[in-house]
Amino acid sequence: MKRLLAALAVLVLTCAAAPAAEVTGRFNLVDQRGNAVSEASYDGKIRLMTFGYTFCPDICPTTLNTMAGTMDLLGDKASEVVPIFVTVDPRRDSVAHLREYVEAFSPTMVGLTGNQEAVDAAAKAFRVRYVLNPPMDANDPNSYFVDHSAGIFIMDRQGRFLAKLGHRSEPDEVAARLMEVLEK
Amino acid sequence: MNRRRLLLTGLATLGASTLSPVAAQAAKAQQGLFVHAEPRPLPALDIRDNEGRPAGLDGFRGRPVLMNLWASWCLPCVAELPALDRLKPQIEPEGVAVMALCLDRSGAVGAVNTYARLGIGNLAVHVDYERKAGEVLGVPVLPTTLLVDAAGREVARFVGPAAWDGAEAMTLLRALKAGKPLDPSMAPPLAKPKTNP
Repeated sequence: MKRLLAALAVLVLTCAAAPAAEVTGRFNLVDQRGNAVSEASYDGKIRLMTFGYTFCPDICPTTLNTMAGTMDLLGDKASEVVPIFVTVDPRRDSVAHLREYVEAFSPTMVGLTGNQEAVDAAAKAFRVRYVLNPPMDANDPNSYFVDHSAGIFIMDRQGRFLAKLGHRSEPDEVAARLMEVLEK
Repeated sequence: MNRRRLLLTGLATLGASTLSPVAAQAAKAQQGLFVHAEPRPLPALDIRDNEGRPAGLDGFRGRPVLMNLWASWCLPCVAELPALDRLKPQIEPEGVAVMALCLDRSGAVGAVNTYARLGIGNLAVHVDYERKAGEVLGVPVLPTTLLVDAAGREVARFVGPAAWDGAEAMTLLRALKAGKPLDPSMAPPLAKPKTNP
């Protein structure tokens, strides 16, 4: 059964490649230290990427915890992987704020932001969609929440799309997928 | 499930995740009180205090526990902590323990700093030492609060921030203490999100 599942996983992944071919994975953003970066800045490393925003007003997804837990599970191999969080809310997620935020998860986690156009372009390159909702509190223009596509992207050492995992994946599942990729 | 069915299911899932307009993110996760049909035994967790000493559920043996999962990077969690801090001295004399379990990856630092910033005086520091609580408890969003019976089993969970210092919460926790069946209608109100604390 395990073998069957493995075979199916490969099949499903292959089938998924068609729509995913549109994921170019390109971006020109600014990291949490203020450096201008692109997908080429991480050449040579596998990337574990997700999109989101830090000002979750009611509940917060634990996706970044999952990514940080995944990094722990990789052991020695962790140095070959870079976990990257891209904000879709650059208005509130400044460089300084992102730095504090991503470093709460993992010292190697990268946080990316940029101007609205750059973030829009990055989201488009990953086929990530997002919508800013009206503020929940009329007196506080910053009290809005953001709907966005969830999931964790695995990109290869040249920044090309390899796989997208559900945002509810657990660290051991993500680590297992990464190990497969790392061993190739 | 046969092979074809499994494959189709897999494809449908993928299709949904790549093609749906704005795939619902956790912000759309259902919030409120969820009562389990059967109590769930809790997996073992390595919980420590701010000095690294064991501070797990064993310390509350025989008492029901409200176990709140939070993190310093989770703003609604932080906004909810003062209500839990007010609840603790109200409900603990009645025999229900209140535990705020910090999932920060930095260990106790995040918890201690957040308590200091908010002026939290009643809650003790509890840290998810092996950083596995979210995973083993199946908690994809924070805050989530588990209601644990006197036998150490999870009987219900509240997803999202709640007004834990109100009358509804007291009623719910008294029912937990009495071992009465819980009901979704006993839910405390969701805390209205405000400006970030």
